[in-house]
Amino acid sequence: MNRLHLLLSGVPVVLASVLLAADVAVEPVRNPLAGDRLELPKDEPVLKAGPGAELVRSACSSCHSMDYVITQPPLTRAQWTANVEKMKARFGAPLSTNEIPDLVEYLEANYSPPAR
Amino acid sequence: MNESFPRRRHPGISRRGFLGLGASAALTAPAWSAWAADFVTLPFANGERPLVKYPQKRPLIRLTTRPPQLETPFSVFNESLLTPNDAFFVRYHLTHAPPPPERLTPEAFRVSVTGQVATPLELSVEALKTRFEPVETVAVLQCSGNSRGYFQPRVGGGQLGHGAMGCARWKGVRLADVLKAAGIQSSAKQVVFNGLDTPFLPATPDFIKAIEVDLAMTPELLLAYEMNGEPLPWLNGYPLRLVVPGYYGTYWIKQVHDIRVVGDEFKGFWMNPGYRIPDDPCAAVAPGTTPKRTVPISRMNVRSFITSVADGAEVRSGVPQRFRGIAFDDGQGICEVLVSVDGGRHWESATLGKSLGKFAFREWTLDWTPQGLGTRTLMARATNRLGQSQPLEPLWNPAGYMRNCVEPVTVTVLRS
Repeated sequence: MNRLHLLLSGVPVVLASVLLAADVAVEPVRNPLAGDRLELPKDEPVLKAGPGAELVRSACSSCHSMDYVITQPPLTRAQWTANVEKMKARFGAPLSTNEIPDLVEYLEANYSPPAR
Repeated sequence: MNESFPRRRHPGISRRGFLGLGASAALTAPAWSAWAADFVTLPFANGERPLVKYPQKRPLIRLTTRPPQLETPFSVFNESLLTPNDAFFVRYHLTHAPPPPERLTPEAFRVSVTGQVATPLELSVEALKTRFEPVETVAVLQCSGNSRGYFQPRVGGGQLGHGAMGCARWKGVRLADVLKAAGIQSSAKQVVFNGLDTPFLPATPDFIKAIEVDLAMTPELLLAYEMNGEPLPWLNGYPLRLVVPGYYGTYWIKQVHDIRVVGDEFKGFWMNPGYRIPDDPCAAVAPGTTPKRTVPISRMNVRSFITSVADGAEVRSGVPQRFRGIAFDDGQGICEVLVSVDGGRHWESATLGKSLGKFAFREWTLDWTPQGLGTRTLMARATNRLGQSQPLEPLWNPAGYMRNCVEPVTVTVLRS
């Protein structure tokens, strides 16, 4: 309000009322989304440090966050291999065939059940 | 909007108690402990999850960040029969989801109806509201993989507790009315739905789902723009989503903008091999085995839950309790809920609450005065009008879909 008053001080009264009227008229169509701050949280969980962690992050994180890995139940080497191969075959992950063993190596070492 | 559930928490049950875990929590520091305000532990291995606040939501149990998958804390189901919008679960599949707000404004958003129709349509939400009759339905939306984390042996996929479900009052227009306005041709076989969410890689299959024309033309399916009297939340499909009462959430396409009528069976990844169940009346195979034949997942099975006490809760001997819970199915209608307070030896009929509609959560209550001391296993088991019920032991399938067994809750009876 103060800025508006400063802006209008010295302006003839007629012009001021035209400006105010125009201000009211440009109110946009009601959009329920506009009132909210529609931003998703940016923090993402990170993988356990270790050999291969950066390879997994760079291979997988353009499509999904790392909690897709972190929240899996303890999976066996065979299950991790099947998952990585599915990402390549079904979802088009640009993985070279010789990268797959390194990815699986990291996943098994960090996110598999302890050996019995 | 609280319907018949008063806002009351069972005395003496903490959030940790509600989530069903005590001593086994937090053995290792999770990766998100540095920044999450709070976290919870779901009662299965690797069940630690942060509680995170998203736009238009209260803090929810976060399964994944990008794309977002958020689960409703189970205590919410004891607060009201209609799940509040700010507590309703979220499940997206593709990287660019939810779609950016600028594509969803009244000016920008249109839904088209094309393919085997006489007159292709392109409609704003405002046009849907003015051209077609508004209708409301109360219906349960449940993720196909709700409760997947409980599968034994464990299976890969989103490791959900029981919170990927909710019941809401949906308002919109009948899909059938819109298809009739477009003039669906007699050669039509399926109707195919796409939302505005998109993959990062061009090679990743877009999330597109198909249903048979016969189902699409039933009056129950809606193109919904409101949920519990408000516009849909951004994360639940604003400004328009498909509502398929009785069917799993995979068909309830969010931000639906492209409806195509086709003359053949649609073949896309998310219909085959995605979202398939064993072709068997129980949708189950022997644990660890592969089904010989599969079909697309479709109608929900019967489920019930005890909501007023959590696993591990304490009750007082000789003090009357009113237990409460919910039951639902695919719209046949729940006709009986049996409750046992002695681990399944004896069963008693619970009192059913007012029906909010055949697709809704149905409240049940049972009065019980615990006698003696020690642990008691409580169970609820619902039956619908077709006589379909819940198995006492879990069934298994490789994708971790359709869990519906009786979910026991163990409480300790203490001296009063």
